[in-house]
Amino acid sequence: MILRLGLLLMLIAALASGGLALLNTQTAPVIAENKAREQEQARTEVMRSLGVTRFEKRVADDGLVYYRAFDERGVLIGYVTVARGKGYSSTVETVAGYDTTFHVAGLKITFQQETPGLGTKSQEIRKGETTPWFLQQFAGKDATTLAVKKDRGDIDAITGATITSRAVTNSVREAALKVKDAVAHEPVPIGQPALSDTLAAEIGSAASREEQP
Amino acid sequence: MDLSNLLVIVVGSILINNFVLARFLGICPYIGVSKKLSSAIGMGMAVIFVMTLASLASWLIYYYLLDPATSVWGVDLTFLRTIAFILVIASLVQFVEMVIQKLAPALYQALGIYLPLITTNCAVLGVAVLNIDESYTLIESLVNAASAGVGFTLALILMAGIRERLDTADIPKPLQGVPIAFLMAGLMAIAFLGFSGLSFG
Amino acid sequence: MSVRSEFTKGLIKENPVLRLALGLCPSLAVSSSVENAIGMGISATFVLVMSNLLISLVRKGVPSKIRIPVYIVIIAAFVSIVEMVMAAYQPDLFRALGIFVPLIVVNCIILGRAEAFASKNTPLLSVVDGFGMGVGFTLALLVIATVREILGNGTWYGISVTPSGFEPVLLMMLAPGAFLTMGLVLGFVNWMDQRKAERDKMESVVKAGFARSRKEA
Repeated sequence: MILRLGLLLMLIAALASGGLALLNTQTAPVIAENKAREQEQARTEVMRSLGVTRFEKRVADDGLVYYRAFDERGVLIGYVTVARGKGYSSTVETVAGYDTTFHVAGLKITFQQETPGLGTKSQEIRKGETTPWFLQQFAGKDATTLAVKKDRGDIDAITGATITSRAVTNSVREAALKVKDAVAHEPVPIGQPALSDTLAAEIGSAASREEQP
Repeated sequence: MDLSNLLVIVVGSILINNFVLARFLGICPYIGVSKKLSSAIGMGMAVIFVMTLASLASWLIYYYLLDPATSVWGVDLTFLRTIAFILVIASLVQFVEMVIQKLAPALYQALGIYLPLITTNCAVLGVAVLNIDESYTLIESLVNAASAGVGFTLALILMAGIRERLDTADIPKPLQGVPIAFLMAGLMAIAFLGFSGLSFG
Repeated sequence: MSVRSEFTKGLIKENPVLRLALGLCPSLAVSSSVENAIGMGISATFVLVMSNLLISLVRKGVPSKIRIPVYIVIIAAFVSIVEMVMAAYQPDLFRALGIFVPLIVVNCIILGRAEAFASKNTPLLSVVDGFGMGVGFTLALLVIATVREILGNGTWYGISVTPSGFEPVLLMMLAPGAFLTMGLVLGFVNWMDQRKAERDKMESVVKAGFARSRKEA
């Protein structure tokens, strides 16, 4: 008897799961597309000050995902990656853009669920401006030595939101160090300036075409 | 094993982000069971037990069956998370009910309807979902669940202690019962806000 | 048991949050802004109406012993639908509501109405009951969210409604503000109840007095 009830329950659960699976085929691609578009938008925004127009994805040996950023001539301008730091009540995600000397080009917080009115001030934009005031102070600073004033750095933390401020600052610094390390191990031939893969391929094929009689 | 990381989780879930007073999870039973100290303690123990077991089961199910990156069949079934978790919790509560009925019938009577209601305790499902959202390892999830349960029990005991005294206090009629409980929870929440200054360097 | 009365009872007389003390967790968590409150209210109403409908349709066929797990599966399925659709088409709201979207499945209102009403009534009445309870839930959320957002942020639905010299009371946006607001709102509802009860009592005493004096006359 119990077996029959159990089977009936499993049948109902299976039916429900089937229906959900159908809906999932519709919504999963939309969700993935949303996320991709949002990340791309963030990347463009943080590198806008340097005139970047193209990005190329790279994955380092340890799984770190970062993007090489190029201007319209194909010259390497900098790097973008996602920095993650444990905040007060959530993991804060910041899209961080650096130039080739690893100074901060721009930052954009893409996920946080910090304390309303305190940690959330990290995304607050003053009237008449276009970017959060907390993030503006990072621009141009050496990303590899970032720290809040309490930790002997020169970043002004948000009043009452030290933990959130530290999360952003430290994660951007750690991410810069990781990308710097990954870039140092990139398979770029010695003596050649860093070019985008496609541009290098074009030059390579053009050169080999020229060499033919 | 990163012990300091676990300590951060423990202090975080009990004090800094107390599940009841800061995260708003587990309010219904909180208001219902916090009238007497003895039933509050019993309920708290049951919740800690269910929360830890439920987090264990749901973590295993998520990473072995649902998450494409780690599951045995590599298909993305994460959309089944809610159904799977709540069914696990419902079965666990049934099981715990039977065990308590056999081993501690007095406690079973005292908890009454609130025992099966642990199924709808948002804190139990909440901690299971949080473990996944925060990408905790199995050990971290178990520690988080147990700490969350302890935090819930702590809030429950504090509230019950105060409410027992309130029986002899002169409260305006409209505020008697549930409203005054909420006002006191508010004051306790203010006190717990003080823990937000705790940091671990 | 008219259709109209089934709907309106959920709004005030049997308001799930303010009278039946159900659905308290989301009421506190999601009420820090009117926008979130409305989003949660609509989602919960959808799940409530659909699950009431389906449960009422299958009420005769489900063996009593497994009825609670069956209701849970049905409710969880609709909550999963809300999760997927919101994540795809309203990602900002989805992020704002956080874990409280999947937590709709343990919203005591939904399982409560399924057991108390949908399992014993026709689909039409169940849908109306679900809709009424859902709207009542949303209204309660709106009341609390209005108080918290205006006092705690100076805005309503994101629009500034306070004079520029107004310093928002940050506490209202945090946990204590939710508890205090809920306590005061519930106290207010009780006070109105008690006043009405006293007035009714006065009325009946006066009526009895009249009846007696007429008899004696």
